[in-house]
Amino acid sequence: MKSVYRLAAGLVAIVATAAFALGQTPKKMGNMMSHEDVAGTIAVMDHIWLNAARNNDAGAAAWLFADDFVEIHPGGDIVDRTQQIDQIKDSSRSFDEIHPDDIDVRYIAPDVAMLLDTTTIRGLQGGVNYGGKYKVIRVFVKDQGRWRAIGAGIAPITP
Amino acid sequence: MKRFQLAGLVAILMCAPHAFAQTKAASNAATVEELKKFDHDWLDAEKRLDIDYCEKYFADAYVLVFPNGQTYTKKEWLGILKGPDHPTITFLVPEDIKVHLHGNVALITDHTTLKGHDSKGGSMDGVFNVFRVVTKQDGVWKATGVVMNAIAAKK
Repeated sequence: MKSVYRLAAGLVAIVATAAFALGQTPKKMGNMMSHEDVAGTIAVMDHIWLNAARNNDAGAAAWLFADDFVEIHPGGDIVDRTQQIDQIKDSSRSFDEIHPDDIDVRYIAPDVAMLLDTTTIRGLQGGVNYGGKYKVIRVFVKDQGRWRAIGAGIAPITP
Repeated sequence: MKRFQLAGLVAILMCAPHAFAQTKAASNAATVEELKKFDHDWLDAEKRLDIDYCEKYFADAYVLVFPNGQTYTKKEWLGILKGPDHPTITFLVPEDIKVHLHGNVALITDHTTLKGHDSKGGSMDGVFNVFRVVTKQDGVWKATGVVMNAIAAKK
């Protein structure tokens, strides 16, 4: 009789703890970096993102982009993760130059970061010249202990 | 008898994580609806030049990027809205709102139609696909970033 109750109590504790852990683990891990560390890390992620685009590196993009990634391109096209990765690996796409300047990490929380940068592009995609400068907002979240990109909005800088 | 009671208890407990997931999904659905409403409220406030609303619900980190790449901070944008050269907005409505929820941040994409004019009477009419960043700060969702992209020529 006692052993039945002990077993039941043990099961209650395990299930209750598991459900609690599901909701809490990522948030606790997010508190481990300082504000400055996060800003530096996010700036590096910005470079990784654009290097992936420059090098047609779909693997790096897949590593970086979260499942529900979304991006709005100049002209208003809205693409999801799969579409963006497909564009990055598109062999008809050739960027001689793509890099961020003026990286301004404007918002930092333990598990969220948002930056504004000026991205310079020199290159073609499908014969279309994408050369120019763009203002870009990029957003990152800390997911399972590592930062991932969840989206970006891009607008061309026009005179 | 005791075996049946124990089996019943185990079955109930095994359902707990599933119930937790269902509760979380329902909570997310409610948050998505809350954020769609926030998108409308936010644009309504800008349309009627409600500076108090914008002061309260725009994050300090807020940045607005216009379709020409011009950027404004919260201070700069609200300075324009409450200044003598503020725009006159007669129609500002988001449609096809999609919410991408990631815990304490959400990305919202929408299709916004704007009708109005600047202080000199120049038309601001246009249709835009808009990227919005909303962050939860001290339990309150706040507008944190916007990138507008024109999808039709301004006339």
